[in-house]
Amino acid sequence: MSEEILFKTIKEIPPVDYYVSGRRTCAGCGPALGYKLVAKAAGPKTILLGPTGCMYVANAHQFLTSPYALPWYHAQLGGGGAAGLGTAAGLRALMTKGKRKKEDINVVVYGGDGGFADIGLAGLSGALTYDYPRLLFVLYDNEAYANTGVQASSTTPWGAYTTFTPWGKIKRIGNDRLKKNVALIAAAHPGIRYVATACVSYPLDLMNKVRKALNAGGPTLIHLLVPCPKGWFFDAKDTVKVGRLAVETGMWALWEYDHGKFRLTVKPAQRKPVKEYMRLQGRFANLADEDIEYVQKLVDQEWKYWEEMDKLGKLILPWAR
Amino acid sequence: MSSARVKPLPPELVAVPRKHVWHGARAVAEAVRIADVDVIAAYPIRPYTGVMNAIAQMIADGQMMAELIVADSEHTQFEVAKHASTVGARTFVGSSGVGMIFATEAIIVTALAQCPVVALAGCRALDDPGNFGMEWNDVLTYRDYGWMISWPMSPQEALDATIVAFRVSEDPRVLLPTFVAVDGATVTHISGPVLAPDEKRIREGFLPPYKPPYPLDPDFGPVTKAQHVAPSLIGPEQRKCIDVAMKRAYKEVIPEAWKLYNEVAGRDYKPFVESWFMEDAKYALVTMGAYTINAIAAAKRMREKGVKVGVVRSRYMRPFPYIELRQALENVESVGVLDFSFSFGSPYSGGVLYTELKSALYEADVRPLITNFLFLGGREPSVGHFVKAVEIIQKYAELKRVEKNVHWLTLKGEDI
Repeated sequence: MSEEILFKTIKEIPPVDYYVSGRRTCAGCGPALGYKLVAKAAGPKTILLGPTGCMYVANAHQFLTSPYALPWYHAQLGGGGAAGLGTAAGLRALMTKGKRKKEDINVVVYGGDGGFADIGLAGLSGALTYDYPRLLFVLYDNEAYANTGVQASSTTPWGAYTTFTPWGKIKRIGNDRLKKNVALIAAAHPGIRYVATACVSYPLDLMNKVRKALNAGGPTLIHLLVPCPKGWFFDAKDTVKVGRLAVETGMWALWEYDHGKFRLTVKPAQRKPVKEYMRLQGRFANLADEDIEYVQKLVDQEWKYWEEMDKLGKLILPWAR
Repeated sequence: MSSARVKPLPPELVAVPRKHVWHGARAVAEAVRIADVDVIAAYPIRPYTGVMNAIAQMIADGQMMAELIVADSEHTQFEVAKHASTVGARTFVGSSGVGMIFATEAIIVTALAQCPVVALAGCRALDDPGNFGMEWNDVLTYRDYGWMISWPMSPQEALDATIVAFRVSEDPRVLLPTFVAVDGATVTHISGPVLAPDEKRIREGFLPPYKPPYPLDPDFGPVTKAQHVAPSLIGPEQRKCIDVAMKRAYKEVIPEAWKLYNEVAGRDYKPFVESWFMEDAKYALVTMGAYTINAIAAAKRMREKGVKVGVVRSRYMRPFPYIELRQALENVESVGVLDFSFSFGSPYSGGVLYTELKSALYEADVRPLITNFLFLGGREPSVGHFVKAVEIIQKYAELKRVEKNVHWLTLKGEDI
């Protein structure tokens, strides 16, 4: 892996954007920020694909505008994996047969947690077993279906309110399922070259992971946490702050699995209590102190594994009890 | 090894193109090779599977070069084909029965995004119960979504129709996908003599590489396609584009393509409708697909008894050749539609081909009597069933009215 492809400081990041104006995303939109950073890191020789999700619905609609300064195409909600696969296969066939100039072209599929953790998981998994280089799946995780209101997905965290997991007169907590970790599922594919988790509040970390993934030599996945002011019920000005707190409290671990080697890329020296992260968001408003204690316990337990993995440089299943 | 007792074949005999004995699935695979397809996506379900088996073997043997995606589902399969098409690759895919229905979402957007994918539908009855007999309802599910549907009747025609499908689909006046619907088992698994056209002549004289007008390619420039747009902006206009493309396919592109193909490949196809014994016919059986041969046999048998019956076969379901069918049936008194499809609760509780034909003949100057004969649930009909159909339409012609609109001829028990 060449060091030249990585950004060392913010100053090295090119000023040109490939995800620009002409959209109608919410104020403080985390996924839009993610789109901008991922496209910037991928550069001009990129095809973007967007499975149905809030980033499909919010990025056009009125006046036939488009925020994409790169080729962009829609994939069906369950078709993100297949879309990346088909595009990469088409390009390789045309190049091998001499029907198109040979060139490195990135295919980046920017799909939501609904698209990649739920309905499209099989297709994503299938695509990760192939060998197409420069094929990157970015799972932008705002922990809910945000284009249809806010409905639970299998990455919605425990206790969160969504319109499908509301609290009520006899039900105290919202979502009672634990969050699915798609990055670990991706890492379980034999032969996968690069898998990482990221957060929009750590732009340099995210962009370098995009660069590494695209140069890894095979299909890759980045599981990107993107705070969503509308779905998480916090003030639009706090997007970056909430994302930072997710990492600082240990609710979201930033790691990479690079050619079989595991590493935490951001290590919070002293983890803040999860309460700081959860109390900032309306979706956890109904949780009692003891519920937050429960989450704290889960996070503490999980972190023993993350730290152990970091020390060993290997993957262990944190949920094998 | 040469032997003095075996004479070498004279060169003029060697030069004559040889017929192969191929089943329908193998013949379609040959068409895919000749068409120089770039991306193929496969997922098994019988009876279509044989096509992909044959293609995979050809790729493994170095006879053709293509990206073969072994997909994780039919939904993935059709999405792969659609997306490979957007960058300018020629793509082939296919399925059967309930598998194809699983891909419905991807199938529909392929047409609405005007990606000229060609798919083989190996017609199979839909579940439940699991049934591997032949029925048309799987592919006819897509009758109304902008796919062209051609319906060859033999392995030979399946090969030719697949090659022509690429040309029609990729024509810039059309840009719509095509289903080549072959009857499961009766075409996919029945072997027959097949004459493959010369690969070089086809590639040079008939099927140039696909060039999409707006490819998804960074070198072409930023193109945003199929994004979420308010209906007030392009809703009806987008649908109208598909309608116009389909009309162009019917009026211009399909007739032109078959005419040129006949010249290049040395064939003799009529683009839309074929007829047998129709010159003086008073009665006609209308068919599609493989069982046309049985219908012809039944007609022959009845002709020997002096019954003036002919057979009319539609080669396309979409675009539906209503003008040609009307012309072919203009002098008959009574028509029997042989149907392997059904629409529950439709007018007279009849089949899809029947309903379509009835609607097509509404504008005819003299309307014949129309009766529907149903062969549903995958049970194979015999020539005897078709003879029975002729007898029934003959009786109705004499009565000058249809007594019973729909007959389930292979049903055990009472047809109520």
